[in-house]
Amino acid sequence: MIKFDHVSKIYPNGFKGLKDVSLEIEQGEFVGIIGLSGAGKTTLIRTVNKMHDISEGSLIVDDVEVKNLKGKALRRFRRNIGMIFQSFNLVTRTTVINNVMSAFVPDLPFWRCLFGIYRKEDKIKALEALDNMGILEKAYVRCDQLSGGQQQRVALARTLAQDPKIILADEPVAALDPVTARQVMNDFKKINTERNITVLINIHHVDLALEYVDRIIGIAAGKIVYDGPSKKITEAILSEIYGGDLSKVGSASELERHD
Amino acid sequence: MEEKLGLYDKIFKPRLITLSNGKTVMEKKSRAPLVILVILAATVLSVHITGFKFSTIMKRGYQFWDYLFRMFPPELSYVNSIWQPLFDTIKMSILGSLIGALLAIPFAMLAASNIIKSKVIVVLTRLFFSITRTLPTLVTAMVATFVFGLGTIAGTTSIAIFTFSYVGKLLYEQIETVNMGAFEAMESMGCTKLRAFSVAIIPQIMPGFIANSLYCFEGNVRYASILGYVGAGGIGLIINQTIGWRYYSRLGMIVVILFFTVVIIEYLSMWIRNKLVGEI
Repeated sequence: MIKFDHVSKIYPNGFKGLKDVSLEIEQGEFVGIIGLSGAGKTTLIRTVNKMHDISEGSLIVDDVEVKNLKGKALRRFRRNIGMIFQSFNLVTRTTVINNVMSAFVPDLPFWRCLFGIYRKEDKIKALEALDNMGILEKAYVRCDQLSGGQQQRVALARTLAQDPKIILADEPVAALDPVTARQVMNDFKKINTERNITVLINIHHVDLALEYVDRIIGIAAGKIVYDGPSKKITEAILSEIYGGDLSKVGSASELERHD
Repeated sequence: MEEKLGLYDKIFKPRLITLSNGKTVMEKKSRAPLVILVILAATVLSVHITGFKFSTIMKRGYQFWDYLFRMFPPELSYVNSIWQPLFDTIKMSILGSLIGALLAIPFAMLAASNIIKSKVIVVLTRLFFSITRTLPTLVTAMVATFVFGLGTIAGTTSIAIFTFSYVGKLLYEQIETVNMGAFEAMESMGCTKLRAFSVAIIPQIMPGFIANSLYCFEGNVRYASILGYVGAGGIGLIINQTIGWRYYSRLGMIVVILFFTVVIIEYLSMWIRNKLVGEI
């Protein structure tokens, strides 16, 4: 379970990323976080595995107070949390399977990491994760040869190989075309239901979010303005999340000009 | 938003361009005249200080050719005495370049500000690189002969130090330009910085690192050939002897052999580097 209790985050430059956020997310939920760019979606997700520190309040993940974690304890804690990025964050110069096997790096002797020599059982585990994502045939292809959707699947396979309890996904489909984005969302849904992994996903596409996730958290200017089932989202709620006039949602450039 | 104007722009006012719809854009005056002025002033000043005279080159320059002609024809039979010192030189370069380049990797990691967040460590490591870079190879070779005695170990050490400083600087600059995404991903799954570096950064810097090391090695073959002057072994030893004894024809033979060696090594290294560029 993830429990935010009056959490605030103030950046060193004084910008308030999160303002008094309180939520509870149960194991196995599929949660979509929506809001404008700069509203605090990324900040919220990154506090969960302490990629960002919180300034005030308490954040408890599986009975652990996250803000007290340091060094070895923090790294052990992060082993249970997978992270998916908008730009995939793979080592593009090496093969797909090497990327997936990098999930085992924290537990291997250092020389194995340095020279990239992995055990047979690690190879099998990595190949199974790739098979799960339906890209087994790409195992020995270099990552930069793959399309965006395929790369995001490799990243998902890497996370699966890590065998996490929670997956944090920061705009995982923003760089993909609509069809591929849908396929990747299907993959998330599959992982969520088959393995009972909690999935927190930041997403720009409201329609995709409403279609796939069970619960929506709407953020505006660091505050939670909606938290509830995705089925109960209305035009009025969306316009609150996206700052008044919904017609502006369609044209982001218009919004940015008024900033 | 108004752009800030520097001192230069206050003296040489920017040009205002007006569009047909009334909007205006400021075009700053080029800095090139200032740069040219500074270079000219520096040149004049340095001629003044060093006492450089064109007339001396005109008057005595021909003697250069005089010495060159004395080297020809080279003494072919001398070639058998060249091989051993030549191989010593190449051995010194290969070993020194290898040791220096490998040592540079961990230090370059410590000097890269995107990997190491502690400013103190970054600044100290860079200072260390700067110090090793300012040490002239001949001086380090001479000091090394005091420590290890005359011979190739001293030469190898000084070449390793030079390679370390040269490859290290290029490497940490390269590390600072890599894509940090994979590194971030590795840290997010609970890797230490060292592990994340070896898995996510090393594959990205490898081609550049090998190319730079090879380029450095090419230069090292030439440096290594003069290290014999301070007793650090290699072909410099016999160059020094033949000049001392005025055996110009033997010196000619050494120069010819050295020329072909350097050319062959440069072509080999260029070929490998081109292969690497194709990989990127």
